Amino acid sequence: MKPKSQKKPLKNVINVFLLLTLFSVNAQKNISGFIYHSQKPLENAIVQLEPSNKTTHTNADGSFTFFGLSDGTYIIKVTSMGFKEYRHKIILNGQQTAPLQIDMEAGIDLNEVSILNKSRSAKNNPENLINAQYSAMPVTIIDRKAIELMGSRRLDEVLKEQTGIAIVNNISGGARSVGVQMQGFGSEYIMVLIDGQPMVGRNNGNFDLSRISVSNIERIEIIKGASSSLYGSEALGGTINIITRHGVVEPQLQAAVSYGTLNIMDAVLEGETPFSKNKGTLNLATNYYSTDGFNTNSKYINGTTSPPYDNYSLQGRSRYQLGEKSFLNFSGRYGLRRSFMRKDFGLGHISGDNQDEQDLNLSLSFDHRFSNNLRSITRYYLTFYSADMSVAWQESTTHTSQDVFKQTLHRIEQQFSYSGTRSYELVGGFGGSLENMNDDALTNVNSLRTFFSYIQGEWSPIKKLKAVGGLRYDYTNNFGGRINPSFGLQYFINDKITFKTGIGTGFKAPDFKTNYLVFYNSNSNYLVIGNAVLAPTLQQLQNEGQISETRQYVLNQAAGKLEAEKSTSYNAGLVFEPSKALKVEGSAFFHKITNQINSIQVATGTNNQIIYTYQNLPETVNKGFEIGFKSSPFNNLQINAGYQYLIAKDLSVKDSIRANKWPYNQNIHDPATGNSYKPRPSDYWGIENRSRHMANAAVFYRYEPWKINANIRVNFRGKYPFGDRNGNQFIDKYDTFVKDYWLMNANIEKKLLKDHLSIRFTAENIFDYTDPLMPGQPGRILLAGVSYSFFKD
Amino acid sequence: MKKWRNTLLLLTAVTLTACSSNEDDNNASLSDGKSTVITDLAGDTGASMGGNTDGKQQRSFHTFLFRLSDKKQIWLHTKADSAQYMKTADWDLAFTGPYNSEVYVNSSKHQYNPGYEGPVQNTAVIKIDQAYANVSQAPADSDFDKSEVTKIGWSSSESSAGWFYYSLSSHIMQAVPDRTYAIRLPNGKYAKLQLINAYKGNPPAVTDLNWPAPYFTFRYFVQHDGSKNLSTK
Repeated sequence: MKPKSQKKPLKNVINVFLLLTLFSVNAQKNISGFIYHSQKPLENAIVQLEPSNKTTHTNADGSFTFFGLSDGTYIIKVTSMGFKEYRHKIILNGQQTAPLQIDMEAGIDLNEVSILNKSRSAKNNPENLINAQYSAMPVTIIDRKAIELMGSRRLDEVLKEQTGIAIVNNISGGARSVGVQMQGFGSEYIMVLIDGQPMVGRNNGNFDLSRISVSNIERIEIIKGASSSLYGSEALGGTINIITRHGVVEPQLQAAVSYGTLNIMDAVLEGETPFSKNKGTLNLATNYYSTDGFNTNSKYINGTTSPPYDNYSLQGRSRYQLGEKSFLNFSGRYGLRRSFMRKDFGLGHISGDNQDEQDLNLSLSFDHRFSNNLRSITRYYLTFYSADMSVAWQESTTHTSQDVFKQTLHRIEQQFSYSGTRSYELVGGFGGSLENMNDDALTNVNSLRTFFSYIQGEWSPIKKLKAVGGLRYDYTNNFGGRINPSFGLQYFINDKITFKTGIGTGFKAPDFKTNYLVFYNSNSNYLVIGNAVLAPTLQQLQNEGQISETRQYVLNQAAGKLEAEKSTSYNAGLVFEPSKALKVEGSAFFHKITNQINSIQVATGTNNQIIYTYQNLPETVNKGFEIGFKSSPFNNLQINAGYQYLIAKDLSVKDSIRANKWPYNQNIHDPATGNSYKPRPSDYWGIENRSRHMANAAVFYRYEPWKINANIRVNFRGKYPFGDRNGNQFIDKYDTFVKDYWLMNANIEKKLLKDHLSIRFTAENIFDYTDPLMPGQPGRILLAGVSYSFFKD
Repeated sequence: MKKWRNTLLLLTAVTLTACSSNEDDNNASLSDGKSTVITDLAGDTGASMGGNTDGKQQRSFHTFLFRLSDKKQIWLHTKADSAQYMKTADWDLAFTGPYNSEVYVNSSKHQYNPGYEGPVQNTAVIKIDQAYANVSQAPADSDFDKSEVTKIGWSSSESSAGWFYYSLSSHIMQAVPDRTYAIRLPNGKYAKLQLINAYKGNPPAVTDLNWPAPYFTFRYFVQHDGSKNLSTK
């Protein structure tokens, strides 16, 4: 992370795309070169040519050649263990290029999976000028290579192996409510984006990432911490941005299929081609995935605790050059998931849980360069999500819940980027969105309209210092306006040590559910009334004689006064690179969340029905630290490890214990001794589902002569609270905890037939660990897969 | 199919090992040789509280009565049932209300008690915040006489003598641990009662929102010699 490696990434990529298809003489050319370090040739360095995806290795004399290339713009990428990644742009325009001379710089590249890393954000998304580069919060990039090496199939599987990230089942949201947790932030505070546009469709605030296949993902950018200055509402705790594949110079086609345990079947067909004499490019991908689901609680349940499903998806992306400086981009994605889950609790209690989900994302953008410094992107985005859900008891064909949920979002945005001198870059823009939600259970729904405007930038006043910052204003019709700033600094203390720090804010406007949903759960006999419709709905129930008591003070305090949830994140850390084979990063984080929205009882209906609504809670704090380690003791071997320590506490719990409030003040009984004692604030363990300790380690090895890639990964999750057991409404050490566990995964891949054919074997959760309290973590999974690529040699 | 069965077996084995830390919840650990353990006593599973529930009968839950001496469950499905059994000394406990979760000890004194205006005069309940096994003595008769506990249901406030909590966040009801009821029965004998679970199978933790309920697990001990000795150790 030396200052000199901080290039002008944005500019480069702009140039690449500008020049990509300018020349289209159909002569076949070669690119060749020599790779060396300290005047010695480097053997077996991996040389990749993007976007053609060709790969070769250097010979003993450090030489390499790519044959038969079409005209166009390529990026050559050289990687070799113990050296920093080298990237260079090459334009073939009918002339044979001179052999390249590449001097590799010693060092270690933490780019693939790392914390606090910004250098890789040089790769951007051609349809979005807002870049993770401007984030004041740490950015983790997982690229396609890393995803391929892991052998994972769905997005949740990739993410749960990252430091500080967990996939969590929300029991109260039903069997299908699964979300991602990051540095203690729940899924409701993590925004999920596709190519920089928000994805919709959540179940009780949880975004189920298993909806998304990783097959067509180019890379995943994860920002941990409040990022509303980049992406607005919802990015309260962080963002996960999925960048799909793009860019192509030559036609190619890839087919892959894997099959194994639980009848898991993953089939992918991907193709890409230039068209109109390289003026246009097209990527298309289809994926079919199916699983039988699994059961982690067969003592009580016969059937599955995690749903079986079939998932079909179709994805496409195209870019067409309209003029010398203008491009038109179109991308689309459609996903369909059908799932039926059967559970037999014995005695004829068989529940059938059905869900049909559909999800559509369409984006159209126009990209224009006014000058070398000024670029503009105008974009329109439409997304639609629908879920038809029901749970029925088979013996009586009665439904315990039934709902059809539909969400539509239109979004239009204008972005500008300006890079004036070598020392600064700016991105600004404005836009608006219109969101509609149709739900059988929603009443008085207004459409949600937002307007936003922002500016982001990067500035290097002196060589040793880099600053990033942003300011964003969001206006929501049912909530009002809010400004979110962020600011980050990097100071390059010396060749080996870099200091990084940042502060950012986040917010989440109250959603449809908390304001407008009126939902009755007959199984548990409770009624939820959205805050904005609370007073009239209660009045109506009162008139119908359905209310037995109203908690007037809650009603007065809560009704119509729901505030946006807010967060502030602080982060500071060091990157230390003592030798070329070792890199260590550490950072401390502190997130403060205020006005969290939570449920509170507001009335009791006749029939002892509980009626509740939503109100704001005072304050929650997630704090801890993260450590990342990467080492390459010798060629073709790489070891990574990560660790997160986290304390996540709701400060109102401590206040309630201190204030001697029921039920917090009840004596805590030690079940072993039968003794009981008065609770103290220190008896509060923390928030449900958060582990104190999480860790991971992985070894990646490549054996060149056999073209084998193998890796073994271990993930640890420390014990975490499942739920309150003794009724004091907070977690103490005698409550129900999920025990700590290790999971081990491995993957081995061999390439054959000049890299056309690849076979792989994947083993996950090798020691077959399951826990009834983790309905979503499957036991051992073994998969075998094969893929074949058609491309010109 | 066979593979699937093997997988299940494997999962079962793992699950059983994984459950070992929660052994105190298993039904086996409930029996102490002296107490009567009732497991999965079905309540009214056909009713629904719902207004907009499709199919399930929209009616209030049928009450059932329970006699400790011979574990007899008596249903009050019809008016005739009610007339026949309610105002009698033939039962000790009544399971009423939503999910049959509100429990009464037969008494003629309180209006909502199914035994109201019946023959049973001298019964009473006292809530004791102690583990069942540790309750070895029934309280003094003067304490029983003073006790104002009528309905044992949702423990929704500090003063409530209820047997379970209902979580507004997880929507799951859970028995209050270390809560035992000392009872003076219609026949004048003393007993202790622990209500343990309302979910089928008495699971250590409910991991599914639709876990079948009400299926009651509870245990009790009646001292037949008429003394106040309730020790079950």
